[in-house]
Amino acid sequence: MRPLDWWILIGSLVLVVVYGLWRSRDSGTVNKYLLAGKTMPWYAMALSIMATQASAITFISTTGQSYVDGMRFVQFYFGLPLAMVILSATAVPIFHRANVYTAYEYLEQRFDAKTRALVSVIFLIQRGLAIGVALYAPAIVLTVLLGWPDRLTTIVMGGLVVLYTTIGGIKAVTWTDVQQMVVMMTGLVAALVTAVWLLPAEVSFLDAVRLAGASGKLNPVVTRLDWNDRYNLWSGLLGGMFLALAYFGCDQSQVQRYLTGRSIAQSRLSLLFNAAAKVPMQFLILFIGTIVFVFYIFERPPLVFQPVELARLENSGAAYRQVAERYEAAFEERREAARGLLEARGKGETSAVAQSLERYREADRDFEAAREEGLRLAREQRNQPGFNDTNYIFLGFVTRYMPAGLVGLVMAAIFAAAMSSISAEINSLATVSVIDIYQRHFRRQASDAHYLKAARLATIFWGAYAVVTAEFGSSLGALIEAVNILGSYFYGGLLGVFVLAFYFKQVTGNGAFYGVLAGEAAIFLVAHLTGISFLWYNVVGCLVVIAVGVGLSRLERAVPGRVQA
Amino acid sequence: MRPPVEEPAPREEPPPFLGRWGRLYAAVLLYLASLIALFYLFGRLFTP
Repeated sequence: MRPLDWWILIGSLVLVVVYGLWRSRDSGTVNKYLLAGKTMPWYAMALSIMATQASAITFISTTGQSYVDGMRFVQFYFGLPLAMVILSATAVPIFHRANVYTAYEYLEQRFDAKTRALVSVIFLIQRGLAIGVALYAPAIVLTVLLGWPDRLTTIVMGGLVVLYTTIGGIKAVTWTDVQQMVVMMTGLVAALVTAVWLLPAEVSFLDAVRLAGASGKLNPVVTRLDWNDRYNLWSGLLGGMFLALAYFGCDQSQVQRYLTGRSIAQSRLSLLFNAAAKVPMQFLILFIGTIVFVFYIFERPPLVFQPVELARLENSGAAYRQVAERYEAAFEERREAARGLLEARGKGETSAVAQSLERYREADRDFEAAREEGLRLAREQRNQPGFNDTNYIFLGFVTRYMPAGLVGLVMAAIFAAAMSSISAEINSLATVSVIDIYQRHFRRQASDAHYLKAARLATIFWGAYAVVTAEFGSSLGALIEAVNILGSYFYGGLLGVFVLAFYFKQVTGNGAFYGVLAGEAAIFLVAHLTGISFLWYNVVGCLVVIAVGVGLSRLERAVPGRVQA
Repeated sequence: MRPPVEEPAPREEPPPFLGRWGRLYAAVLLYLASLIALFYLFGRLFTP
């Protein structure tokens, strides 16, 4: 990075943190610290919700995923607007009227203390696992850019987030989220404009889109139903809806955002804004990855985007040289085939276009095969069968080709995304630890100041925990999928118990408690015994919780005393 | 520790536009259907 990039990156970080702390200067009670005194306007909650969901992983991995797999990942978000409508109509008024700090507090009002404790612990485990990944993602950025050790980066990033989250509570988290969302959107638009601008002079924007289409990257809607296919229209609508229902309806990191609303209407509007903005935003991010793919049709990409692995490969001898020569030849052939295709299109000769298209597709297949061979060599050398370089594709492009100033802006966007997610997660983990565990089970009658101090200490604890668990990030594959898969192991059970609470008035505390345990067991069985896509785990888990919860409750009423906790 | 809300239970307000929440929800669903249709057409239009 050049000096201008550093100024922009550091300047934006300082500005965001200082602004967040200034807006949160009045957070001296537990109510204000954890719920902002229920004074937040809809637009602040809306941007905070979006910023919380858009982690650094979203930038780093989604763009790379589009490069490799096309735009079909956008379907994962099709169920989100459906979930937002359902939650606005049901969960938002219920949570507001229940007067709760956490979603799980409501479960005790509706069922019993053990169900609240079980679900709180599931949340702590699940969020606790994910937070390390969220912190590790930006560490990759600095490792690639500056060669900083991952550990140092996670400590610096985690420390900064803990600073403003501990001091300002949810007000600081929300108002920094607003600023961070602005930085993210600016960075995204700048990245797209620059990627288009960097295309060769003879390749227009429409040419680039057509080449992406010829390469099979423009697949935002796949209508074929395949249970084993992760991303198609049906898994996106149904599986995505269940995942979004669970995430926005049962995950405290999101519920806490809209619990800060000054009215039910304000909270609803924040969710509906997200419903309208999220899908186009993901489309934009994926489209950037697609344009980067087209850019690399004309500019030779590295055989492996992970620079450390590439350097290791280059020193590995004859096997690498053979693959590299094949890769170089395949790149030249694909570039010429692409130029031929554009030329044929320009002339408008149908048969020539068809012929050129066939040649291009064959060249693209050869190129991908050569790249896959390089990845296979890297996996063998690293002795890590799951290794891939998806997370390095976009960052490699940014650092190598983007002009001074814009690199800093994109880095600022990635940092903003990381910090907004991590701060919300730390804040919600601290809230559940204090309200649902500490206050409920260890210290029931203490002063407001005592719980405020406990919340601040819990924030510091979870920040430190995030830094330690970030160490595991390096052993995961494509990070965004890892986080979503982790979430899907637990979300089905969480969603099921809230569906029971909202819609099944006859269900008892025992029914809900054992229903959640059965749902989690079912998800783990399905994950290990079948090959179905992880998006369906939520559906399976939720249905099992409902079935067992309803069945056990009926049994309990029919035979009193038979079901004991 | 005080309860999270110190004021009376929150009241339901109509949305700032379209008059009723049901209409706003329908508008969001229609918008989603339009987006999916647009994405589908986009893919079909540029994929030979």
